[in-house]
Amino acid sequence: MDFERIKPHLPWITLLALVALVGISDTNFLRPQNLISMAADIVPLFIMAMGMTFVIYIGGIDLSAQSMANMTTVIATVALASFGIGAALICIAIGAIMGAISGFVTTKLLVPSFVSTLAIGGVVFSIGQWLSGQRALYMDATLRDNAFGWMVGNTAGIPHEIFIGTVLVLAGWFLQTRTTFGRALKAIGAGEPAAAASGINVTRIKIMAFALSGGLAAIAGLLFAVKLSGGSPTIANGFLLPAIVAVLVGGTPLTGGVGGVINTMIGTLIVAVIRSSMLYFEIDATRQQMVFGIILIVAIAATIDRSKLRVVK
Amino acid sequence: MYELKAIDKKFPGVHALKAVDFKIGRGEIVGLVGENGAGKSTLMKVIYGAYKPDGGTVTIDGTAVRFQNPRQAMDHGIGMVFQEQSLITNLTVMENIFLGFEQQFVKFGVINWKTMAAAAKAQLAKVKLDIDPATITANLSFAQRQLVELAKVLTLEERIDGDLVILLDEPTSVLAKEEVELLFKLVRELTNRASFIFVSHRMDEVLELSDRVYVMKDGAVVDVVTRDAANIDAIQHKMVGRDIDKEYYREQWQKPYGDEVLVSFGNVSLNGRYKDISFDLHRGEVLCLVGTEGSGREAILRTVFGLDKPDTGTVTIKGEPVTRFHARGGVERGIGYVPRERKVEGIVAGMNVYENMTLSQMGNYASGGVLRISEEKDMARSWIDRLGIKTPNVYKDCGGLSGGNQQKVVLAKWRSGGSDIILLDHPTRGLDIGAKEDVYDMVREMCDDGVGIILVADTLEEAIGLSHSILVLKDGEMQKRFDGTPGDKPSLYDLVHHMI
Repeated sequence: MDFERIKPHLPWITLLALVALVGISDTNFLRPQNLISMAADIVPLFIMAMGMTFVIYIGGIDLSAQSMANMTTVIATVALASFGIGAALICIAIGAIMGAISGFVTTKLLVPSFVSTLAIGGVVFSIGQWLSGQRALYMDATLRDNAFGWMVGNTAGIPHEIFIGTVLVLAGWFLQTRTTFGRALKAIGAGEPAAAASGINVTRIKIMAFALSGGLAAIAGLLFAVKLSGGSPTIANGFLLPAIVAVLVGGTPLTGGVGGVINTMIGTLIVAVIRSSMLYFEIDATRQQMVFGIILIVAIAATIDRSKLRVVK
Repeated sequence: MYELKAIDKKFPGVHALKAVDFKIGRGEIVGLVGENGAGKSTLMKVIYGAYKPDGGTVTIDGTAVRFQNPRQAMDHGIGMVFQEQSLITNLTVMENIFLGFEQQFVKFGVINWKTMAAAAKAQLAKVKLDIDPATITANLSFAQRQLVELAKVLTLEERIDGDLVILLDEPTSVLAKEEVELLFKLVRELTNRASFIFVSHRMDEVLELSDRVYVMKDGAVVDVVTRDAANIDAIQHKMVGRDIDKEYYREQWQKPYGDEVLVSFGNVSLNGRYKDISFDLHRGEVLCLVGTEGSGREAILRTVFGLDKPDTGTVTIKGEPVTRFHARGGVERGIGYVPRERKVEGIVAGMNVYENMTLSQMGNYASGGVLRISEEKDMARSWIDRLGIKTPNVYKDCGGLSGGNQQKVVLAKWRSGGSDIILLDHPTRGLDIGAKEDVYDMVREMCDDGVGIILVADTLEEAIGLSHSILVLKDGEMQKRFDGTPGDKPSLYDLVHHMI
């Protein structure tokens, strides 16, 4: 059995192996209650990673996701007072517009996406700082519960975040596999010159992918704000690296064209298990980013499609 | 003595070399002939270290060697003069000659340009080229560049103690008659130091220069003949495996074309690419653009497809003047493009058969952006039957199909979408004989269906055999138009005469 044939199955095998490993060393880990709350905690990260999946799927990257979520927590908190549930729409629209700007800069001004999204990330981070006056803001409890209480409740012992995550992953999966947009994304990721020669509007599809990523990062930020009942321009710091790790260990390589949202769901769960296992193995929280940094390098080195790379700069 | 024994090389879906034996002695000139796809270039790549063989042995003077890369082959005295020239055109001649070997001119970390220039001058003298080594390569003619390539390879003389083996890949294809003779004279003189492997599809040249000729077909050496015993017709017969006849290009199927004009060029010019081009493409017509690389053939295709806006002149597609040029224009006007780089621009590897076939027309298989996938599959199945595409099912990744079947998928993509103007850019490149014949069959079928085809052929024989009309281009200008009526087709000589 050669590696190329196992490769697509590696993510879920890794996930099961990790769960088994942690479960053996501490059986408490395997209690359903624990697994459910672990999954619920990871949903905001998953939403951000899922958005990023669309961009990585076409061979780009979105480094603005974390700043986008940061800014959204502030906007959501500020907008809640006047717009109620409408604040959600405002957040998502702003996220999508900023994402589309990244896409425009990448495709029209030919700035590589790691630079364009880093730059737009700087812009949205500043907007968050400016709007918040660099302070943590708090939501009015009644207003929050009226508008967004449904996001964080519990039904039959299952936290509502899990439902939100499930609905989004199903929608993302439908978009990816059943629509012309998803097909075009795949074609661009797997063979952009052929997609262009077949008359696909590559520029438009790419801008849409970046907008989608921005919009989903905003939803992630909104969920943060609701869960923590407030916003701050640094609240989501430390999420960018795990989000990228989730996409890549899930099996969507930086070269794009394969993988997708289901892969990212598995990848996010891998991240969640690694994170909780660090608690079980008493690894200091300050070392988390170090662990994710190393995993990221290993995951990229193992999954990248070298036949698509001529020169790495 | 350089010797290959039982060399085998496989690629996915292609057995490129089958137990090839090959040897070349000191000072010998050996010819290598075969049709496109016979395995000549694969064999060359094994010889100069770009490919590692899957089986067999390579020996130099009885010692077994195994090259990991071309650099190691060079260290053993094996050099390659590339057909598609390998010089970097924005560097000077001397920088190109010593590219990768500048170390010998470095003192205290700085290149001594004077000694490099002098050394380059000495190399250029070997090929009797009297130019300033500091000339930017882009300013040289093709023939001069070919000689610079040779001079570059000849630097091996100083670096290597033993004998040299120099590969010449189609060195004459861009040269004029006198230049070819000069090159041959030079090669003969150099045999005191080097032996040469000469690859060409011009049989007369091969026989004129070579002491022995290896004939390849379908990845195997089918004959080795000495010059004295050689006979052009016999070699050609061995190469093709049958007489080259009209049957091959389906000339008996060729029918007169219709009246309706699909594409019309009226004095169209694009600065630096082509000048004052006029032609009409009719329904059911195969129109071939013939010329050397850079003669403007591909640039004209790009303009027809709607990519490059010409500076002057009028382009009319199906009676409508084209004013807006952008990447999707061609597809919207019903033009299908079968590119030379099949794996890059033709199919999307990683997508399956039906996904590839509907890529240019997803809108026809979707409602409100949601795909009707079962309809896609039905369409794909019917085209798999119609074109005889060999694939286990519609879910097969196109990257895993053979070249011929990939080409059929690309054609099915355009045909199923109703394209009635098809641009074929080297449609048979890299295909084996059977797959080529399938492509020729499809060309005739498309003509019967009223499709108009603009062809840039892989060989001149193909151009002549398939076409109703042939336009010969040189340096972006139209030299001559030939009618390709069956039985009254122009000869190779007629075309080449106007090409260079």
